[in-house]
Amino acid sequence: MRRRLALLVVAGCAAFPAAAAARTSATVDGGTIVFFSDTLALIARNGATIRLADGTRGEADAAYVDLKNDRIVLAGHAHIARGTAASSADAIALELGGERVDLLDAATGVTRTTRALGAGTAAEIDAQRFAFPDVDDRGAFIRSRHATIVAHANVRFTPASFPTSVGGVPVPTYLHTFATSAGFGATTLNGATFDQPYGLTGTPTSLTSVHARVEGNSGALALQEQLASGDDAYATAAVDAPLRGFSSGGVTAYRRLSPRYNVLLGAASTYGIRTGDATLSAAFGAAGGRLSYHVQSGGFSSFDASLRSPDFVLPGHATFRLSADTGFDAQRGAGLYPYALLPDGRRYGSVWRHGLDAFLASPIVPLPLGATLSLTLEGSRTWYAFPRHVDAVTASANASKRLSRSVSLFAGYTNAWNAQVFPNQEALFYAPPAVQQLAPDGTPYVGWNAYRGAAVSRYENFDVQVAPPNTSTSVRVSLRHTNDFYQFDGLGRPLWEIRGDVRFRPFPNVGLAFGRTYDFGWAGRRWTPGWSFAITP
Amino acid sequence: MTTAVIMAAAAATIFRVVPLACTGDRLAVAGGGVLRLADGATCAAVVPGRALGVAIADDRATPQALPPDARPAAEIPRSAYVLAPAAGGDADQTALVNVEIAVTVPPRTPPGDDIYVSTERSNWSPNEVRMDRVDARHFRLTLQVHRGASVAFRITRGSYGTLERDASRALPRAHVAAGEPNGRVEVDVAAWADID
Repeated sequence: MRRRLALLVVAGCAAFPAAAAARTSATVDGGTIVFFSDTLALIARNGATIRLADGTRGEADAAYVDLKNDRIVLAGHAHIARGTAASSADAIALELGGERVDLLDAATGVTRTTRALGAGTAAEIDAQRFAFPDVDDRGAFIRSRHATIVAHANVRFTPASFPTSVGGVPVPTYLHTFATSAGFGATTLNGATFDQPYGLTGTPTSLTSVHARVEGNSGALALQEQLASGDDAYATAAVDAPLRGFSSGGVTAYRRLSPRYNVLLGAASTYGIRTGDATLSAAFGAAGGRLSYHVQSGGFSSFDASLRSPDFVLPGHATFRLSADTGFDAQRGAGLYPYALLPDGRRYGSVWRHGLDAFLASPIVPLPLGATLSLTLEGSRTWYAFPRHVDAVTASANASKRLSRSVSLFAGYTNAWNAQVFPNQEALFYAPPAVQQLAPDGTPYVGWNAYRGAAVSRYENFDVQVAPPNTSTSVRVSLRHTNDFYQFDGLGRPLWEIRGDVRFRPFPNVGLAFGRTYDFGWAGRRWTPGWSFAITP
Repeated sequence: MTTAVIMAAAAATIFRVVPLACTGDRLAVAGGGVLRLADGATCAAVVPGRALGVAIADDRATPQALPPDARPAAEIPRSAYVLAPAAGGDADQTALVNVEIAVTVPPRTPPGDDIYVSTERSNWSPNEVRMDRVDARHFRLTLQVHRGASVAFRITRGSYGTLERDASRALPRAHVAAGEPNGRVEVDVAAWADID
């Protein structure tokens, strides 16, 4: 029922998106239109026609629309008309939203008028208004013949082609968004191996898009609606429907209340589990705090109030920080795990806890032969209102060595240890398992029986990176080794992995990135399923 | 007469301009300036909005094919203009320039995590371009952008849930990489969305 409701909401968003209220600022037609995504320059050639929202119509041999500054230049046999009024000139400069119109006659100079195109007055040349960029069409991001512009928001090309030196990739229509509000990056979609958004409709404050995704081994389609108010507030909703597996969805809203406080609200449904979260963050100088509440289907909820110190700079430029938190975990209608294992487990519907965390980081320390080293150490203890505490200690060391301007080596080691301690009750909470733990291939994992609440993970990596300076090209090969408890063939992280990542720009306007991981036969698996793949403008 | 014009043009300095219009003996160029054509020169080769070369001799312009070593329009002598000189804003945007983004991450950044640049060009895809590591806390990336362009960007650890936050844990305004030769932007990430 809830799934149907979610689909209904999504269908409603798609059919009546908030962005549908977008007001077109201008349309541009031309024999060819080229668009550059970084300069937001749109140039129409071989006969250009521009229609503005107020009915103004311009024609010229060529036209330039500067979408960053809402500026239009009509060049060569330029003609502008509005209603019955009309004017002609060698070049005309006007704005997407403004009233001013400058007409340049190469013989007599500039006449200034308004969109009403009444009698003009002679004026000095405002040279900047007639700037027309010198571009190389081969570097264009998009080629088209028709563009629909919503100022400060987006431009839709119909049709659109993404040119490369070996041909173009055509699509019937493409919406390019250039609104910069932070909210347009907000999403409730989970991470994916590949995610290519495709805008449907948009305004300066909203965007409706579909996402073509690869999630693990499965393709997926997602629909997303985003509303943004500058960088200070946003709301976003999305539904993700993989071809295999569970669909998921979520809603998130953020508001910066003041320079000191911001609030984040969210709700999500993933793998059939529904969650809700509310977080209030506060800053007090360099220190800060957070109140957060989490609730999920099945009756579990938790609350946290935390405070963090500023980063104290110690002698030698090391940094140190303390944080403390208090809160509770609760389970409605049944005992809270793991206390439910107790004979009187149902008594423990909620358990308070408090914790302390200390973090120490070294500066980047120079080593002999031009290498550097960085160290971190973090320790925490959480006490529960029950004979239980949880300890965690994590240490890491990371070294780098630059062999040349292009080639660097990196090595790292991380050791993370944590222990669930139930004084005098270990036998109850860590009784030998009744069911033998099996690896994916059915092999019994006898060592699992040794687990008594303490786990450790060790991670070592060695990377070679080749990144020639002043290029977009980068190649990285990483060898990774883990040695954890608990870890068994196919359970936990692979013992050995080697990963390759390549990033390059085969064309001036398109970048590509690939990644692939080899697992050395972890549970009989050689390659990590799938590639990572990205197309960058 | 035509031979004389070509010979004079061959001896003259050639500049790269974007014409707005050519009519009679006048050539209007991007940035609003107007040049007078040399005797015998015509508008035949002039396409509005498409860059071409102009040879300037005796303060008269002769349109001709654009050589690769043509000088920028901003260097045309002011005396060559019959109407106000062109503005400097008609920048040559044919060239891609490298802009280096240098990022320092906070000490609590998980040491194995990759750092990404997310830009407006991809509608803020959080893992748009992976940065190159310099050491445990420094990363860099060379972005190629058109001269005169500017690209807004933010820093992530590969997902929206790991977007950078400012010191008060609020969403920061976007950083801007400007398309200037040898451009460099330094970003000091104060915090991450998922690490308090």
